[in-house]
Amino acid sequence: MMTAHFDRRYLLMAAVGVFVLLIVIYPLWQVLFRSFLDGGVLSLKSYQKVFSYPSYYRALLNSVWISCGTAAMCMVLGTLLAFVVIRTDVPGKKILRTLLVLPYALPSFFAAIAWIQLLGPQGYLARLALQFFGFATVPWNIYSAGGIVFVLTVHYFILVFITVAGALERMDASLEEAARASGANTYQIMRQITLPLVLPAILAGGLLAFIGALANFGIPALLGMRARFFVLTTSIYYALAIPDFGLATALSSMLVLVALVTMALQFGLQRGESRFTVISGKAVHPSTLKLRSLRYPLFLLIAAIVVFISILPILSMVLTALMRYWGAPISAANLTLSNFDYVLKFETAQRAIMNSLFLGAVSATAAMFVGTVISYLHVKAKLRGSRVLDFFATIPYAVPHTVIAIAMILAWARPPVSLYGTLWIILVAYLAVYLPFAVRTTNSTLQQVHDSLEEAAKASGAKLFPRLRDIILPLARPGMIAGWILVFMPALRELTVSILLYAYHTETIGVVVYNLQDAGYREIAAALASIVMGLLIIGNTIIRKLTGGVAGF
Amino acid sequence: MEKIRIAHLAKRYGKVVAADAVTFSVGDNEFFSLLGPSGCGKSTVLRCVAGLEEPTEGEIYIGSTRVNSTTEGINVPTELRPIGMVFQNYAVWPHMTVHDNVAYPLKLKKLPKEIIETKLEGALRTVGLERLADRFPSQLSGGEQQRVALARALIKEPEVLLLDEPLSNLDAKLREQMRFELKDLQRRSAIPILYVTHDQAEALAMSDRLAVMNQGRIVQVGAPLDIYSRPADRFVADFIGLMNFIPGRIVERRGDQASVEFLQGHRLNIRDDGQWQGACVVAVRPEDITLGSTGAIRCRVEARNYYGHLIDYKVGAEGFVLRVQTPKTEIYAEGEQLGANFDRALLFADRPT
Repeated sequence: MMTAHFDRRYLLMAAVGVFVLLIVIYPLWQVLFRSFLDGGVLSLKSYQKVFSYPSYYRALLNSVWISCGTAAMCMVLGTLLAFVVIRTDVPGKKILRTLLVLPYALPSFFAAIAWIQLLGPQGYLARLALQFFGFATVPWNIYSAGGIVFVLTVHYFILVFITVAGALERMDASLEEAARASGANTYQIMRQITLPLVLPAILAGGLLAFIGALANFGIPALLGMRARFFVLTTSIYYALAIPDFGLATALSSMLVLVALVTMALQFGLQRGESRFTVISGKAVHPSTLKLRSLRYPLFLLIAAIVVFISILPILSMVLTALMRYWGAPISAANLTLSNFDYVLKFETAQRAIMNSLFLGAVSATAAMFVGTVISYLHVKAKLRGSRVLDFFATIPYAVPHTVIAIAMILAWARPPVSLYGTLWIILVAYLAVYLPFAVRTTNSTLQQVHDSLEEAAKASGAKLFPRLRDIILPLARPGMIAGWILVFMPALRELTVSILLYAYHTETIGVVVYNLQDAGYREIAAALASIVMGLLIIGNTIIRKLTGGVAGF
Repeated sequence: MEKIRIAHLAKRYGKVVAADAVTFSVGDNEFFSLLGPSGCGKSTVLRCVAGLEEPTEGEIYIGSTRVNSTTEGINVPTELRPIGMVFQNYAVWPHMTVHDNVAYPLKLKKLPKEIIETKLEGALRTVGLERLADRFPSQLSGGEQQRVALARALIKEPEVLLLDEPLSNLDAKLREQMRFELKDLQRRSAIPILYVTHDQAEALAMSDRLAVMNQGRIVQVGAPLDIYSRPADRFVADFIGLMNFIPGRIVERRGDQASVEFLQGHRLNIRDDGQWQGACVVAVRPEDITLGSTGAIRCRVEARNYYGHLIDYKVGAEGFVLRVQTPKTEIYAEGEQLGANFDRALLFADRPT
């Protein structure tokens, strides 16, 4: 008797495998492959071009030093704030923490726009400074490398804050108590015990900030291109406009290389840290430092920082949206709601909102669906080969979004399958971008579903599809909903991918805001951005409520 | 008739041997336990029977169906095997009511609704849950969840019931009560049970027969009484119940009797079929030692634990510490000088287990 009980899970794996191949592996391979191609022949000509023209190799150097500078500033700011908020008795810790995270919940190019409104020529703070100090011109220029580093830092310092805060919270209190018992004072303990112990966390957070800054497009695009200051992401954008695919792909490959090296470092650091068992999941929290007379002055200082980096940009955006015209004196007579009225009746904006809603909903649904299947195959079924699938699906996490957009152009904008100029090419790119997030969410959701729950269904006689339908999916549902919102919200405000892939009629909200700002319609751009900001903050509140604060920003 | 037959089963994970050369069968209506310390491979064997693990070698029959044969590439998926299974953590689905949990196997068979409801009522009554049908698992105690799992396993009228340490998450009192209930349930529903546990008291109390496993292999198969009174080797003797092991030396063999010398020149005749000579280990159960003023082995009470139904002593006997358990009426003071006699003893070769 030969009983061939075919395992349908392999069918599922094959289907998802083809999907990942088409939207991740094949497009990214195209980028690498094309960078070594010149007129159909293998060559290094594109790389030669990068290193023979100063404007291109300078972009590489600019990217590296801008990212290094950002990472350094983030490490200082994030660590100081984390120490104060976690380890001292400064009042209002919870609200401070929530507000510090706020800028990261908004897209980085909104931050760039808001800081231009605040610090740019005619900016609110610039005008204030001129009045107050009687400068002829303000002694800073937001359209510069310094401006880019500043806005990147304000946007990414939270990555250091979160990793350091986590390490400080997990630290074994007895390590510090032992130092105190040995006769060390508070300052010595901080310098000689605490700081060295959280150093890996500081570095890990710094590397995350480095990767974020390296891959960022919106900030250097809005602040740097006007000053002819290019980094890798903006050079790629420029190379595509020429268009020079060889150059774009060579720059892309270099960008990915730098990102991968940084990620490898970060991974190594995490491994090294796990060998360090002193920071473990202990229930004993380290004692907080009594600030005494410094308590309120320090609170005021932190509160001032929070107002400066979290509240001010939002206020500025809303204020600009309410101004009759950009640069008008701030007075009640100059306030109006007509910008909102205009933008809501503006056909391109209406279309962009529909496009973004469609793209966000479809990519979130598809990414969560595929992510759940991949997680099921990997985490629950543990099929042979599912590890590789999981790895492939998480690759885009390491790839800057600019490169993903290029990959889609190379893979899906040529006959026989030309999606160029349609929403579909943006959708495919979004799927690649958000698949890693989906897989990570569903992985952790399914890890919490005990194996025996599925085994009991098998023992009850349930085959694969009833098992998925009746047991796995219902149990994974809360995590899937949270994951859906976590993909939907960033997709709604996405800029980097869509700015490279949009055409007439396929604009997204991000594209419209960017183009309005770039064309000088700042108050209209601000009105649309304000609407999106409101939606994002509401959405974020909902998701934090839904998940008990586990997900969201 | 045999309801489960396992022949030469082996399961290896790379170089790690989880189970090896496992052969046994479970008869019709038999309560059969796999007993052993954690990591001995008992759960692996059970999971192979359930089809949740694929054996590396061997054959498994359930009823007359061959569900596994590595030589012929047969591995029937779990959902097609005629089994019911109860898991250590019950695995009651938290998003379904008691009703839906128990009815699920029948729903999969696409039975008519009336038949499902009738059978369901019967199943819930069997485990005493008829009043809790609309509750969700989070509203149930551990014991009640256990009954849900049991009803769910029984409702599809499987040929065999597989139980993976089902009592280990219950508190001590409920655990003892469930031993009686499980046994009673099995008699009423006339279903063979393959039961996995690390708790020797549980296995002894409920099983018709049990197999003791160690390091992936079956060491001994037999009725509880046989295994307790005639353990096959020193591991089984040590694992099942309490046992004193005293070094000794065989001085003479005559027929099936071995004359053993131990402690300070004491002699004892022990039944043993072996041929070997020299160093040996004398094994005595604590309840097989009698204390009194006249015993041959001089000893002194060093510690006493009072358990209510019996008394547990630690006595120093000629430089060796013995565990002795006496009926609750035989009370000796700590420090008292006594004599001990061995009523019954076993003999093992002197090699470490």
